[in-house]
Amino acid sequence: MIRKVLLVACLVAGVCSGSPVAGQEPSAVSRQSFDQLLQAAEKARDESRDGEAIQLFRRALSEQPESEQALWYLGSMLYEKEQYAESRDVLRRFVTIRSDAGPAWALLGLSEFQLREYSRALDHLQRAMAQGMGDRKELIQSVFYDVVVLLTRFERYDDSIVMLERMLANGVADPALAEPNGLAALRLPFLPTEIPPDRRELVHLAGRTELDVQTQHYEDAESEFKQLVTKYPNEPGVHYLYGAYLMQLHPSESVAEFERELEISPSHVLARVRLAEQLIAQRDFDRALTLAQQAIKLDPKRASTHMIAGEALLAKGNAGDGIKELETAREIDPTVVRAHWDLLRAYIAAGRKEDADREKQAIEKLSDRNSQSRPSEAGDSPHDQSAP
Amino acid sequence: MSPLVPGLLISVMLAASAAAAPVSFETIARQAEAARAQDRVPDAIRLYREGTHLRPSWNDGWWYLGSLLYDQDRFSEAADAFQHLLANPSHRGPAHAFLALCEYETDKYNDALAQFRAWAGAGWAGTRELRDVADYHFALLLTRNGKFVESLYLIAPLAQRFGDNPEIVEAMGLASLRMSYLPENYPPELRERIWLAGKAALYAAQSPKDFERADEYAARLESRYGTQPEIHYFRGMLYGFEGKNAEAEREYREELKISPDHVPCLVALAGFDLEKNDLAEAGALAQRAVAVDSNDAEAHHLLGRVLLANGDLRASASELETAKQLAPDSPLVRSHLAMVYTKLGRPQEAKVEAAAFLALKNKEEVMASPEEKLGEINRESAH
Repeated sequence: MIRKVLLVACLVAGVCSGSPVAGQEPSAVSRQSFDQLLQAAEKARDESRDGEAIQLFRRALSEQPESEQALWYLGSMLYEKEQYAESRDVLRRFVTIRSDAGPAWALLGLSEFQLREYSRALDHLQRAMAQGMGDRKELIQSVFYDVVVLLTRFERYDDSIVMLERMLANGVADPALAEPNGLAALRLPFLPTEIPPDRRELVHLAGRTELDVQTQHYEDAESEFKQLVTKYPNEPGVHYLYGAYLMQLHPSESVAEFERELEISPSHVLARVRLAEQLIAQRDFDRALTLAQQAIKLDPKRASTHMIAGEALLAKGNAGDGIKELETAREIDPTVVRAHWDLLRAYIAAGRKEDADREKQAIEKLSDRNSQSRPSEAGDSPHDQSAP
Repeated sequence: MSPLVPGLLISVMLAASAAAAPVSFETIARQAEAARAQDRVPDAIRLYREGTHLRPSWNDGWWYLGSLLYDQDRFSEAADAFQHLLANPSHRGPAHAFLALCEYETDKYNDALAQFRAWAGAGWAGTRELRDVADYHFALLLTRNGKFVESLYLIAPLAQRFGDNPEIVEAMGLASLRMSYLPENYPPELRERIWLAGKAALYAAQSPKDFERADEYAARLESRYGTQPEIHYFRGMLYGFEGKNAEAEREYREELKISPDHVPCLVALAGFDLEKNDLAEAGALAQRAVAVDSNDAEAHHLLGRVLLANGDLRASASELETAKQLAPDSPLVRSHLAMVYTKLGRPQEAKVEAAAFLALKNKEEVMASPEEKLGEINRESAH
């Protein structure tokens, strides 16, 4: 279980700078009083007299409201005591002074998460990730976990899945990842605590199945998928998931799954995109284009809808419009390698050498970057790793 | 950062104060502004604090102090600063909105709602960004107060501008299911139905309307939670919005099986009966609605209309007058009252009500007090 860990012990070192006080210089009397209070507070903390330590840190702060040490110790102790509103307020004061302190942003975000201030929590946890949290493994895992579940809650399922894949790649194989994985895969914007009781089994099974796919346990995944579609034949998202899996191993069988998904969820954008992709492979370009155009109408800001429309148009011999759609896809999301490959081929075919060279460079850059963390080719997880 | 969460909203809205000042104050003011310009936030906060302490009439100082603290999410301290601007007529408008946002964030919800109302009364002052954030939170507080329709009026334009935004979905879901909660405090087990209802409401509010997708989510909602209160009422509202009256009526009747005392449902069905000239059932339903909630303006309005259709003019006038008292800014109540007064041979009163109707009819979605909406009419009546 990685949701709740004892954080403070591993956090104390290295967050505060050597200078105990920032801001205005205190008077000599107040300096002495502050130093005494701070020493007493630290002693109380070291001796596990937490209540007393908290009181003393508060008193020290009344002497010097901008003391980094007092703010940090108080904020982290309040967090440990699960006094999240108080820890949030103290940590906000701390990060005003030390906006470079990754662990402080982490504790602030975790406090906000507990207070259900989800948007702010996500911002601050991502800031912690960007700034780094040193080698505090448990803190990092907690932050990653919360970011994953928050991304899903904000319907950023693909980002959530990419994060989950990063966690798995880093060796986190905690069973607690099954539910976040299931929620993201089924595109249900709930936190694990918000899963309706009658949905928990479905989410768990979908998550376990996805974990098996991600860790390449295909035999287990196959049998779990069969269980999933048998037990939940009418649930939105299930047939899409299975179809996406089949596309890798038995592509022709995926068509029926995507079609079934569209019967259940008529506005499912990704089922349309994947079905169109498969229809292009089967040379049914007209139907593929119709589906791609419907997908664009449903979600014009998604790169993969334009990319697949571009591919269908090129396949039909309409290079002009095809290139336009691919360029739109590239504009929306320049990190989708496949769109660059499509454009490279299209530009070469059209004799546009300079444009083709530019795409080649873009592919090389992305390949270097992706060798470290590999996003999905079409920008649409899950299982979207097929090379163009 | 979500566009609807208070963020970097600082905008320079004040002219520098021109009064002469002691040197020490001027030095501090200069240092504060330099610190702000150089993004040295902790220094700027400290210096603005000192400056406002030395000169409490320094409006720029309070403004920047409040804004800087607000941007750091230090809402309780920011609120203290914005309070000082309320006395100044030129800064009052946006200060009301910022203060309301700070009070929302510090869980002072009733105070926040009062500040938002004051902000609306002062003309909704502020930048587009401030208006978006403030409208969103204002709407959340209206939902918390049971003002679901007003909340949806405020949020629908945001839904059109921002599209499928998860926070707007959540806000619309709560208001659509008539749940008096904030996003931060509803029971987690309600999440799925709030999300599904919110999605349906959001797509129905798009321009152009996306009823197909709205219906898809509404159907999912109904199949998952069809035995729970408010679901069929919401579905009925949605059908009504789509002009599918037969389906709407069916859903309202389903809701009454689950929630027999659902006043908006009783009123809606009475309205359908009235249109079909089924006055007996319309009257019975409207009577029931009034009996369940004697403070519901629409229930009295409907009953007044049924009585008018039945030719019982005195009783109709009495019900419509009650409706007018409860909802002074409802144009349709005024229109029906004008009709009844005319039929009763009371032309002067009919004229006043007709004028009120004309004044109000284009202001149905305006979030101002009835007194403001009826400003000219009230002044004319007074003369």
